[in-house]
Amino acid sequence: MSWTLKINGTPQTFEPSEQPATLADLLKQLQMDKAAVVAEVDGQVVPREHFAQTVLRDGQSIELIRFVGGG
Amino acid sequence: MDSLVIAGKSFRSRLFIGTGKFASTSVMAAAIEASGTEMVTVALRRVDIQNPCDDMLSAIDRTRYQLLPNTSGARDAAEAVRLARLARAASGIHWVKLEVTPDPYYLLPDGTETLKAAETLVKEGFVVLPYIHADPVLAKRLQEVGCATVMPLASPIGSNQGMRTKDSIAIIIEQATVPVVVDAGLGAPSHAAEAMEMGADAVLVNTAIATAADPVRMAAAFKQAVEAGRLAYEAGLPPKSTTAQASSPLTGFLRNE
Amino acid sequence: MDEIRTILAQKNLDHDRQVWTEQMLRIRPEDVQRELSVPAGKYSFRRLLTLLSPAAEGFLEEMAQQAARLTVQRFGRTIQLYAPLYVSNVCVNSCRYCGYNRHTVFERTRLSIEEALADAEVIAEEGFRHLLLVSGEDRSFVTTVYLAELAARLRRRFSSLSVEIYPMTQEEYRTLFEAGIDGVTLYQETYDRAAYAYYHPAGPKQDYDRRLQAPDRFASAGMRRIGLGVLLGLTDWRLETLALAEHAAYLMKRYWRSQVSFSFPRLRPALGTPSDWPHLLSDRNLVQMMLALRLCFADAGIVLSTRERAQLRDHLVDLCVTSMSAGSKTNPGGYTGHDDTAEQFVVADTRTPAQIAQMIRSKGKDPVWKDWDAAFARSEVFS
Repeated sequence: MSWTLKINGTPQTFEPSEQPATLADLLKQLQMDKAAVVAEVDGQVVPREHFAQTVLRDGQSIELIRFVGGG
Repeated sequence: MDSLVIAGKSFRSRLFIGTGKFASTSVMAAAIEASGTEMVTVALRRVDIQNPCDDMLSAIDRTRYQLLPNTSGARDAAEAVRLARLARAASGIHWVKLEVTPDPYYLLPDGTETLKAAETLVKEGFVVLPYIHADPVLAKRLQEVGCATVMPLASPIGSNQGMRTKDSIAIIIEQATVPVVVDAGLGAPSHAAEAMEMGADAVLVNTAIATAADPVRMAAAFKQAVEAGRLAYEAGLPPKSTTAQASSPLTGFLRNE
Repeated sequence: MDEIRTILAQKNLDHDRQVWTEQMLRIRPEDVQRELSVPAGKYSFRRLLTLLSPAAEGFLEEMAQQAARLTVQRFGRTIQLYAPLYVSNVCVNSCRYCGYNRHTVFERTRLSIEEALADAEVIAEEGFRHLLLVSGEDRSFVTTVYLAELAARLRRRFSSLSVEIYPMTQEEYRTLFEAGIDGVTLYQETYDRAAYAYYHPAGPKQDYDRRLQAPDRFASAGMRRIGLGVLLGLTDWRLETLALAEHAAYLMKRYWRSQVSFSFPRLRPALGTPSDWPHLLSDRNLVQMMLALRLCFADAGIVLSTRERAQLRDHLVDLCVTSMSAGSKTNPGGYTGHDDTAEQFVVADTRTPAQIAQMIRSKGKDPVWKDWDAAFARSEVFS
């Protein structure tokens, strides 16, 4: 059964074969360096050391944020 | 020159630098170096999923420059608090430049939401540096809830207009019990010097440096201007005269004493 | 921000103050001219020291012109009128300068609530709407309960109530504030610790720190008006003014919603007190002190009581005064004709309130009996 995860506000569908089991898996799939990323799952901040233990489920809302230049 | 102390931390440089709008990460890094700053602001934004780029943070030597995450993009207190918590979780830094700017045209700060967010964040142990319009009463209220500084704007972000709010900033400086950092709208080194001559404790500059033809040299110019302005302030500027208009004598009655 | 005890100690304003005397002697006319050439009204220690110096005595007319202009700019052409109501002359202290000293033998009077209201009614009939309740250190009678009850009853007749009483705790001040009192006047008498100890040899008033920190307590309890002052004549008036100003500046920064006023009680003859004092001020000194403070504090009230004689008060109205008492009786029951009770000090300006109002008008100013702002702000509290 396919999943839908809302990532940075955009719903994305994942077929069973490509569903990321954990947050760390998702970042690897998206080719993001987890060291540079801040993550929120369903409104809760997830500390970096817990990425590999954070199990994902259908319907979750995920925010992936990073530091950028700013005033 | 004496050093600036914010929340117990000492700074020798009174120039803080914003890292936005630079043409490249390497120019940004060189400008930061040339400015002599000890603290730079950074923002938080969503990663572009289609194009996750590299981390600009790695270009900033965190052993030399303190990071000051800002809450730019927040349109209300709740968003600002969320961004601050995210930034702390991401970096371990509990300092935050509180910016709540719902208006996308002038990017002017919402004082009501700023005060609300400041109260929450101070209670959560953040060192809060709030960005505000040059509103003296708001500045007092923010100090009252425990902010570590106040940061009144000189003119709107990126406008480069200089010290348009000069008179109000003078009142804020007079009444302040915490350092006053003039932020936003400083378009030229002379503007920064003007702020320092008035007694501001520090200034924050971004656009004027990042968008200069030669940002590295502009950063150096601002460095000198901030030092000159502070030195002049400490040396005691001579007063500008005002003319008096006499009316009938008021103390003649004392002559008989 | 440091608290006031630290500020005074670190700046040598509560001890070893001669360093400032020496500094003031070194002020030259050019230094005074420099200060007088900048826009008036902003405080710095250096500025005040310069304006209080002997060199500044040669510039009183210029100072007066600037002070008069600044006062009109900030306060308008108005003089606020108030009356003191003494509710008790019982006092447990032994202050060397005061007619209420417990060792002085005279018949002590305490006004019951009804008696106090009777005096207050006379005051109200004269036109006053601002009342200052005063008493000696009489904690067993003039309690917070007494004052709160009195305030609750007076609120119907007066739009603004202040007290000038012994230092209280923050909770006690809060009780008074909730009963309708919104101002407290408390003079440190002298900021010099050694002199303070000498003049207050016994009783609760011996506690310098408790008194010094009372404005912090009542301001944080909500009091909108803070009245400060020193008893002029106890020690060097220039040094006292420096300490007084630091106290005021500290309170203005910390309690920024409250307004500070300065009073200038000059030692006056009183029953049972010595009649020779080495630090008495001349009128010239008093004027210099007032002008220097006005030129450093554009928005501070400057209050003048009936201790001073009529002609002097009239001249001071032209300068920088913002508030005056009139027709004062400093003995409990004095307004209802009880001339036999003992006064705290001899009143020098004995003109009636109507005469004072007339004098104020003759100087092109408006005597204000009722401050509309205060009445409006409080009307929500009392329905």
